[in-house]
Amino acid sequence: MKPLYKLSIFLFLFVIVTSCSDDDSSGDDLTGTGMVKIEFDNSVAGDDLILGSSYTNSQNETLTIDRLNYIVSNFRLTDADGNVYTYPKDQGYFITSEETGNTEVVLVDVPAGRYTSLTFGIGVDQEKYLLGAEGQGDLLTEAESTNMMWSWQAGYKFLNFEGTFTSATVTDATDFKIHMGSHGSSLDNYKETTLSLGTEALVSDDMTPIVHLVANAGNILDGNNKILLTEQAVIMVSEEKSPKIATNTSNMFTVDHVHNGDGSSH
Amino acid sequence: MKTLIISVSLFMTGIYMLKANEMPTKPSCQTTSATLMLFDDFCDVCGCSGNGGSMGFGTGLNNNFIGLRYISQRYRSRDGIFANSPWIDENFNTVQLWTQLPIGKRFMVNAVLPYQFHSRDFADNSEQHINGLGDATVLGFYQILKQTPDSIKSIKPQHTLQLGGGVKMPTGRFDEENLEGSVNPSFQLGTGSWDYLLAVNYGANHRNWGMSLMANYTLKSKNDKEYRFGNQFNYAISTYKTYYFGNDFALTPQIGLGGEYFKKNEEYGLKVHDTGGNAFFGKAGVEVNYRSLALGVSTMLPISQDLNGGKVEAKSRISVYMNINI
Repeated sequence: MKPLYKLSIFLFLFVIVTSCSDDDSSGDDLTGTGMVKIEFDNSVAGDDLILGSSYTNSQNETLTIDRLNYIVSNFRLTDADGNVYTYPKDQGYFITSEETGNTEVVLVDVPAGRYTSLTFGIGVDQEKYLLGAEGQGDLLTEAESTNMMWSWQAGYKFLNFEGTFTSATVTDATDFKIHMGSHGSSLDNYKETTLSLGTEALVSDDMTPIVHLVANAGNILDGNNKILLTEQAVIMVSEEKSPKIATNTSNMFTVDHVHNGDGSSH
Repeated sequence: MKTLIISVSLFMTGIYMLKANEMPTKPSCQTTSATLMLFDDFCDVCGCSGNGGSMGFGTGLNNNFIGLRYISQRYRSRDGIFANSPWIDENFNTVQLWTQLPIGKRFMVNAVLPYQFHSRDFADNSEQHINGLGDATVLGFYQILKQTPDSIKSIKPQHTLQLGGGVKMPTGRFDEENLEGSVNPSFQLGTGSWDYLLAVNYGANHRNWGMSLMANYTLKSKNDKEYRFGNQFNYAISTYKTYYFGNDFALTPQIGLGGEYFKKNEEYGLKVHDTGGNAFFGKAGVEVNYRSLALGVSTMLPISQDLNGGKVEAKSRISVYMNINI
C-alpha cells in the first residue's frame, strides 16, 4: 500500500507540473497593419522550374522552358469570418518573372487579421484596361520592359511562356511562344482564382506572413484543356485556344504552405 | 555503415560460438548489464534537440553510474518543396555527461547534460555549423518492481518496473533563423521550451539473458519564439545476453527494435506543414564491462520512416559511451 501511495503523489506532482505548460495561442490580439508576402514558386509537375531544363508532359511533348512571365492582380484576402479585404486597385497589378527572379508580390498596409483564403486575377481586367493608357500608371511601362505588352491596341500579355519543344513528329527543337491575354476589348481572358490557405495567415504590426504558392507551368498546355504544340507552336491571338490557355493558367496555382512570423525568414 | 553492422553481428555470433563461461562463478553485481538498456534509444529523430526529449533513459536496473556518451546522427533533408529540390546532409553530434543516482531505496534520478555540435552541407557547397549546450534533462524514476541484490544467483526470472517523470530544460538555444526554408526544423541546439517527460521501463532477467521494454512520452510546450515542437512518443524493445569471462570481465551483445512518433509542430498555434511523422529502427550494440567500468557501442538504422512529409530522412545513428559504476 505504501509504495502505491508514494506513486500517487509522484503522479500528482507530474500532472501539476505538466498542466502548467501554456498552450493558449497567442496572436489573438492582432492589431495595426502589416505586409503579406506572396511567393510565386514556379514548377513543372512537382519539380522546380529551372529555365533551360526539359520537361516531358502527358502528351509526350518535351518542353525546354526559357521564359515564364505572368501578371497577377486584384488581390483579396478573406478571413475566417468571411470578411474580405480588397487590395487597392491602383496598386494591384504585379508582373512576375522567372527570368528576373522577381516572383514575390508584397502587399502593404493590410489590416491586421487572420486570413484563410486568397483570391487574385491572372492578367488585367477590362475595367483597368478601359481606363486608357493614362490610367495604367507604372504598369504600362513595366509591361513593355518585361515583354508583357503587344501594343496598346492589342493590350497586355497576361502570360508569356516561351521555349523550344520536341515531340514524336517534331524531332528538331522548335520554338514555341504562348502569349495569352485579352484581345483588346473584344475577347476577355482575365480570370480569377481563389485558394484556401489551409491555415491562417497572421497579419499585424509585427507579423508578415509569407504565402508560398506553387505555380505549375505544366498546367498551361497540359491542364484540363490539352493544347498540342505540335499542332500550333505559336499561340497569340486565338479565339479558340487562348481562352483554354487562360483557364489552364488560372488553375495552375496551389498553396504549398504559409509561413507566419516577422516575414524575414522564409 | 553496413560493414559495421555486419562486423558487429559477426562479432556477436563469434561470441556466441565461443560460449565462454556460461555463468559467472562469483558474479559481481555491478558488472551485469550496467547501462545496457540505456542504449535503448539514444536519442530521437531530430537531434536530441529540436524534436528532442527522450534522451535514452532506459532501465538501468539497480545500477548507478556516471559517464560520457557520444552520439552521431546522420540525416538528410530537402532544401525546398519540390521533387527535384536538392538534399542536404545533416550531421548531429552530441556529447553527453549522464548519470544515474539513487535517492533512497526506490527512487532514482537520471540526468543528462548534452553539448551539441551540428553541421549541414547545402547544395551550393556552403556549410552551416551550430554548437553549444543542448537541453538538459532530469528524470526521476520510482521503482515499482525491483531486483533483489542477489538476482544473478537467483534461478527465478527477475523483474524490474520503473515509472518516471521529468523535465527537459531550455538550456539549448533555439534559433528561428535555422527554420529557414523547408529544411529540417530540428536543426537546433534545443527546443527552447520547457518539455515534460513520462516514462515507463520494464526489464526481465533470467540467468544471463535479459530483455527490456521502454516507452516514453514527451509533452512539449511553446517556446518564446512562438514555436512548439510536436509531442513525441518513443518505444523500444531489446534483448541481450551477458557472457562472463572470469570475475572481472563481462560482455553483453544486444539487439532490438524501436519506434518514434512525432506530432506536428506548431507556430503561433498553427500547425506547421511538413512536420511530424514516425520512424522505426533496428538496433544492435555491445557493452564490455571491466570491474566498475562499462564501455559500449551501439548503432541504429532505420527500417521504415515517414518524417516531415518525406522531407527528412534519418540515415544512421552511432553511440559510444564509457561509464563508471558508482
